[in-house]
Order: sequence, then structure tokens, then C-alpha cells
Amino acid sequence: MTIGLEHYLIVSVVLFCLGLLGVIIRRNLIVMYMGLELMLNAANLALVAFSHFRDNLDGQVMVFFIITVAAAEVAVGLALIVALYRKRQTNDVTDLTSMKL
Amino acid sequence: MDLQLVSLEIGACLLGIMVLLVDLWTPAERKAQLGWWVAGGLVGVFCYSFTIFDQGTGTGATGYVKDSLAVYFQGYFVLSAVLVVLLTQSYAARIRSGISELYAFTCFALAGMSFAAGANSLVLLFVAVELITITFYVLTSFERHRLRSLEAGIKYLILGAASSAIMVFGIALIYGSTGALDFHGVARAANGLNDDSMMLLYQLGVLMTLGGLFFKLAAVPFQLWVPDVYQGAPTPVTTFLSTGSKAAGIVLILRLLADACPPLLGEAWLRQLLALMAAATILYGSLCALRQRNLKRLLGYSSIASAGFVLLGLVTLSDQGAQAVLFYLTAYVFGVVGAFTVISVVSEESSDEDISTLANLHQRSPLMATVLTLSIISLAGVPPLAGFMGKFALLRAAIDSVAVHPVMPWVIGAALVGVVISFYYYFTVIREIFWGKGRFWAEEAPSTEPLLCPRAAEVVLLTCLFGLIGLGLFPEPILFIAGEATEYLFSAN
Repeated sequence: MTIGLEHYLIVSVVLFCLGLLGVIIRRNLIVMYMGLELMLNAANLALVAFSHFRDNLDGQVMVFFIITVAAAEVAVGLALIVALYRKRQTNDVTDLTSMKL
Repeated sequence: MDLQLVSLEIGACLLGIMVLLVDLWTPAERKAQLGWWVAGGLVGVFCYSFTIFDQGTGTGATGYVKDSLAVYFQGYFVLSAVLVVLLTQSYAARIRSGISELYAFTCFALAGMSFAAGANSLVLLFVAVELITITFYVLTSFERHRLRSLEAGIKYLILGAASSAIMVFGIALIYGSTGALDFHGVARAANGLNDDSMMLLYQLGVLMTLGGLFFKLAAVPFQLWVPDVYQGAPTPVTTFLSTGSKAAGIVLILRLLADACPPLLGEAWLRQLLALMAAATILYGSLCALRQRNLKRLLGYSSIASAGFVLLGLVTLSDQGAQAVLFYLTAYVFGVVGAFTVISVVSEESSDEDISTLANLHQRSPLMATVLTLSIISLAGVPPLAGFMGKFALLRAAIDSVAVHPVMPWVIGAALVGVVISFYYYFTVIREIFWGKGRFWAEEAPSTEPLLCPRAAEVVLLTCLFGLIGLGLFPEPILFIAGEATEYLFSAN
């Protein structure tokens, strides 16, 4: 069996859905953040696969941008989560309730 | 690529870095005064970049265009950034850690927004959106000693990152189905798609990318973050979110729809989807605002409702609709900045954001009472102020397109219902200014002490006053420029 574009795409869609499920279901901020990274990397995988099977390098350049931006996002995000932990000793979203209707 | 083309973005970034450097040699008590220099610098950089446009070096580089639409939005972004910087300066007393960083981040966000204004490829679209969003994560949680600010930042972070991940996946699908990343390449390839599964992939990709952008716009069902983030963020940041960040989403949606999706523009389902979102957004924003007592949350819901009005202009998918959107935004910025500036000054004095803190404002500070009243009236859309002209232009564009869009009468009906509901909550605010009794459980009557307005806030308020009345009485110049900017946007296809 040769591995074709569709196999890469199936893996990518599965990764994306797992990440999305993680963000929706889990309540721990760090785990939710991991889910977000999974979603971004699913997109990266799809881009690289498309780029390879289309013989077009634009997609791979885009992947570099995504990786860089994801790194910046993680730096800011983890800093925020740490700041919250210092303030409240929690990293559970169900504790974020200081603002209600 | 010609670097002069992006002089505005480079200038804004350099200005941000310079503020951080100058901060090192500025005595602590004078740091807030840097705001005047930042505001002046931004105006100077914009004037310089405007001359570049005049020399006709317009388009050429791939991925970025500096056409009249880009320049219109860049002017809009610089205007709101300057007002926000001055508002930040009058807010300085409440920022414990580094006012200069707040100025610098405003400049960086501005750079992202002006990249968004000229984005002509999916790569720049993504980078511009992320530059804005990541900057706003920091800005929102800037008062990290306050739990609410931190909480707002985290909520914005999780929802914002999720929406950009969805957008990135959408971009990957568009790339996969068309093999191009620049808008015109995508449009060319999409026009030639004859494979059904590829077409489906392309449509799904466009929808997911639009989803990420609708998050910035705060359209239903991507509006969940708005009330909490608007309430928790420092007031100048809330102002910038509702003017700059929202408009960046709008310009990207306009460009994506007009330049990269010509094969989809004729499809009925796209129009019905946009129409449904417009109606739902207007009604959701207006209904939820009804029972709000917190001023910032109230304005948050009102900003959702106005996102619905912007969508009303987008649904038409016509040049006239786009022109109305541009004008509406410009009118909107004066109303929103005016209202938030007054709220910022009043809530600093009473350290509360409840609507009852506005009681007796007409005695305590006639200027602030006047500007807040006019801003609210303009947001509600009462003639002859700027907001009325904006809503009028949007409704007229919508009515003109009834012939092409069978669903349009329903959306216009929903918009009118939304306007009527919004009168109620907007006039609650005005009633509170002139006839407010303060908190009903408080023993003493509300204070009538004069309320001092900082100099920078005064400048912002006077600018807003001028803009609200000027745009309401003489809308033609801005309407004309907006018309020039959106000419052939949709009709070129």
C-alpha cells in the first residue's frame, strides 16, 4: 500500500478533532492549551502534505509562519496561566467566575 | 518588496520600540506624558505613509496592497490608536506596571491592524490577525494585579487561540484545494475548479477562515468572549478592542470575500448564512444589553449589536454595502471612544462601573455629560448625529439589495426591531445621567462634587464631540472617500 494524500489528511483531521475535543471537554488550562497546539499542528500537517503532493512550496513557507506564531502564542499564554496560578492557586477554568451577569 | 510601501507599519513598530527605550531615561512621574509624543508620532508616521500612496507606488508587491481601501482603513486605525493612546494617558494612575509598555503594545497592535488593512494573501492575513490577537492577550490582562483583568485575558486567550486554530485549518484547506495562498491566485484557481470534492474542500476552508475572522468581529455564534473581556480589560484596551480589532476583522472579511471568493458570491447559501448571522447578532446584542447594570458590559453587548449592523452591510455583497460599512465604522469610533472615555474617568473616581455612578454627571462635569449623552444618542442612531447617518446608509444599502436577496426583508425587519430595543437601554444611560438617584440601597444622595477631567481625556472628548456632530451634519466628504475606497470591490468580479 502506498501512502497517499488522503492518509495524511485523515491523520490531520483526526488530530484537529482531538485537539478541539480537548479544548471543549477538558477543564484544565494547560491541557486545553495542549489541545490548541494539536489543532495548529494538524493544520501544519495538512499544509505540508498538500504542499508535497502539489509540488508547490508555498504551503511549507506558511508552516514556518504558523510555527513561529504558535511559539509566540505559547509564550504569552503560559505567562498568563502562571500569573493566574500565582493569584488564585488554580488552573481550572471552572474557577474563573469573578465576572457574572 | 519596496520597504517604503510598509512605512506605516515599520514606523508604528519603531515608535513602539522607541517608547520602551525612552522610558528607561524618563523619571517615573513623567512617564505618562510620553503619550502626547506617541500620539504625535503616530500622526506623523501616517502623514508620511500617506505621501507614499500619493506617488502612485500603490500595488506591485505580492501579498500586500496599498490601495484606497487599505489607506482608508489605515487612517481609521491611526485615528482610533491616537485616541486610545490619549485615553491611556488619562488612565495612567491605575496602571501599576509600566505605562510605556501599554503605549508600545498599542503601537504594535496598530502595526498588525495596518498589515490587515492591506493583506492580499492568506499568509499575511494569518500573520496580521495573530499580531493583533497576541498583542491583545497581553493588553487585556495588563492589570494583572486585578483578578478580573487576568481572567478576561485568559478567556480571550483560550477562545482566541481556538478561533485562530480553526482559521489556520481553513487556510490549509483553501491551499489544498486551490494550490495558492494569495487572494487572486485562490480566486483564479477556484474559478477553474471542476472537481466536486475539491470544491467542497474549498468551501469548507473559506467558511472556517471566515469563522476565525467573525471571532474578531464578535458576530453570533463567535461572540461569547465579548462581555467578560470588555468588562475585565483596562478601559483603553476595551476601547481599542471595539474599534481597532473589530475593524481589522471587517477589512479582512471584505477582502477575503471580494478577492478570494468570487465563485461563492453568487451562491444562495452564503448569503442566507450571512443574513442569518446578521439578524441573530443584532437581536442577541440588543436583548442581552437590556438588563445590564455594568457600563462596560452594556457597551460590550451594544458592540455585538453594532457588529450585526456591519454584517447587514456585508450581506448585500455590494459596493454600496461596503461603502456604508466603512462610513458606519468611522461614525462608530467617535461614539464608542467618547462613551468609554467618560466611563473611564467616572469609574476611576468611584472605583465602580455600575450605571448608577453616572448620577448627577450633568452637574459634576457638563462637558462629560454632554459628550456621553451625544455618544449614546449617536450609538442609538438618532438624527442628526454621526451614528444615524451610518445606520441610515447601511439600511439604505440593504433596502436597495432587496431585489437580489430574497431573505433581505427579514434581516431588515430584525435590524429595525434591534434599533427599537436598543433605544431602551441607551436611554437608560441618559436617564441615569440627568435624573439618576444613585444606588437605591445607598443612604446618602449621589455626590454633586465637580469631577475633574484630565487634559488628555478632554482632548479625546472634544475630538469625539467634533466628529459626532461633524459627521452627522456633513457626511458627504467621508461618504465620498469611503465610496472611492470600495469602488469595484465587489462589482469587479
